[in-house]
Amino acid sequence: MGERTDVGGSLREVTLRILNPSGLHARPAAVFVRGATGFHSEIRVANLSRETERDASAKSVIGVLGLGVSAGDEVRIRADGEDAEAAIAALVELIEEGLGEARTS
Amino acid sequence: MKRLQGIAAAPGVALEPLSLVRGSPASDHATEPVDLDGAVSEAARQLEQLAARLRAGGRSDEAAIFEAQILMAHDEALLDEARHLIASGEPSDRAISLAGERAAAPLEALSDELLAARGTDVRDVAERIARAVRGERQPSLEQRSIIVAQDIAPSMAAELDSELLAGIALEGGSPSAHACILARALGIPAVVAIPGLMRAVAGASRMSIDGVSGEVVLDPDDVSEAASRERMVDLRHQREADDRLRQHPLATADGHRIIMAANVSRPDEAERARSAGAEAVGLFRTEFAFLDRARAPSEDEQTRAYARVLRTFGGAEVVLRLLDVGGDKPLPYLPQPAEANPFLGVRGIRIGAEQPDVLLVQLRAFIRAAADAQVDAPALMLPMVADLADLHQGRRLLDTAMTQTAARGVAGVQPRLGVMIEVPAAVLVADQLATEAAFFSIGTNDLTQYLLAADRGNAALAARQDPLHPAVLRAISQVVTAAEDHRIPVGVCGEMAGDAIGAVVLIGLGIRELSMDPASFGVIKRAVGGLTRDEMRAVAAECLQLADAVAVRNLVTSRSPTS
Repeated sequence: MGERTDVGGSLREVTLRILNPSGLHARPAAVFVRGATGFHSEIRVANLSRETERDASAKSVIGVLGLGVSAGDEVRIRADGEDAEAAIAALVELIEEGLGEARTS
Repeated sequence: MKRLQGIAAAPGVALEPLSLVRGSPASDHATEPVDLDGAVSEAARQLEQLAARLRAGGRSDEAAIFEAQILMAHDEALLDEARHLIASGEPSDRAISLAGERAAAPLEALSDELLAARGTDVRDVAERIARAVRGERQPSLEQRSIIVAQDIAPSMAAELDSELLAGIALEGGSPSAHACILARALGIPAVVAIPGLMRAVAGASRMSIDGVSGEVVLDPDDVSEAASRERMVDLRHQREADDRLRQHPLATADGHRIIMAANVSRPDEAERARSAGAEAVGLFRTEFAFLDRARAPSEDEQTRAYARVLRTFGGAEVVLRLLDVGGDKPLPYLPQPAEANPFLGVRGIRIGAEQPDVLLVQLRAFIRAAADAQVDAPALMLPMVADLADLHQGRRLLDTAMTQTAARGVAGVQPRLGVMIEVPAAVLVADQLATEAAFFSIGTNDLTQYLLAADRGNAALAARQDPLHPAVLRAISQVVTAAEDHRIPVGVCGEMAGDAIGAVVLIGLGIRELSMDPASFGVIKRAVGGLTRDEMRAVAAECLQLADAVAVRNLVTSRSPTS
């Protein structure tokens, strides 16, 4: 799961669905943001399932909440920096494991 | 002594000294004013202490909210904005308050209520940092008291020592405010939206609040105090009885199960209904999505809202009622000519003939929501149906919506299509409707109004507006017979289902699903559990031969064990 695009250089990108029953609300958003802040890369996340696309820093919990990610929405994560690959891998794993919640299967 | 009236927001009665909270107590400094980074650390420290105290007290859901706030306090986007404002000359506390408002606005604009509520958390955190910048101390209670304020921020509410907090009275606020959620969790009364409270409270030292009636009394006299004390004892007994009953499903004295469903008007009510023990939602009113707005809600917005309720109930049935608006609930974006008799006007399914688009969008949203929530057997009902032609119109719209969603690649399941029985004509042709409807749900509120020709809103006719009138009971009996003959389920979703006497008569008439406000669950379990099904059948049969509602109430009361 998760489509990865190799965009060259230090930029890495992945697109995948959020399956948490209430989307990226407070608790899973906090897990996601804590995961992102551990990396040096600049990491941005966008909600592709909204009528107008907006993105936010994955290290800002307020920004991530503001994307209004609902269950089933598709998000695109972009990391730019020397640990971009590791950052993407870590965030994908957190999302696939449900960001600390039981997923809708 | 002064009496004031507000909106009841958390049940219970309290009679205590009052503690007034006014804005920020600027004269009370605990620490020296600090810079932004110092204030952030102090705010985070306070929140960590608060979350730890809540966890230790078993209040882990609230603790999680404040743990999330700690993360917000360190949010670089928020702090960068504040630093930017400080660099352009704003004082630090104003800078962080402004940054908080700017960060909260996009959240509050989201249609997802849970996320929108986090906007309040952002403001709360920003205010806490601002207070820390100013070196202010948090308000605290000195003795067990009822707190009186214009409004209370979530963290302030949670920080007040719950041992000392006896009740909440707010001039502003709303029943869905965090302070009220806290009050309900603590089991203390809350009354909000009390006009004139802050001015009236001057000089008062004691008050009573009634979280069921919404009444607030400042400096009550002896008579008022005695009445409050009696109410407190009654409520405590009732609460204890309800707790004992929570384990038991709704059933007659001889063990016949009745489905206990909830009437839900908004998605957040669904969660409360589920925790109160609702087995299903017999009536999911959808007008919330359409009222108080300038534009129609989008299909996406509706899909999300409906899916939220469907998910809350997992596989249990949630019956969505198709939009029921019309002359008396006009929508600015759905222009209709003014009507002399809106209750007899173009409403409910009748709008479908002239303006099908609004209903089609809603139907598509429901089909998608059911697919998203993985509901095997979604259920829908049509309001204001008078005959088969109305049902056919609804079915045509549903078929169109199914085709439209399939064309977009959504693998939707065809919802079961039921009918609300509220128009008297539907009662008289119920046998015809039963051949094609998947189920009936009797809307006794409107049915009573139409049968007795008595306007629901007219206080002078309140006595006539009783669904226990034998004419209404006979109508219900006829509908049940038609349903049974064609083997379709029939439930009741009007207020009668949540009335102790009403429930007994309904079960006696053959109803096996009652959908009501969850606040009535305890009362109904007690009432229904007091009689066997045969006893209810016998009394219902007698009621059909009585002449008026008063006689019906008296008869049922005389046959019921005292609770």
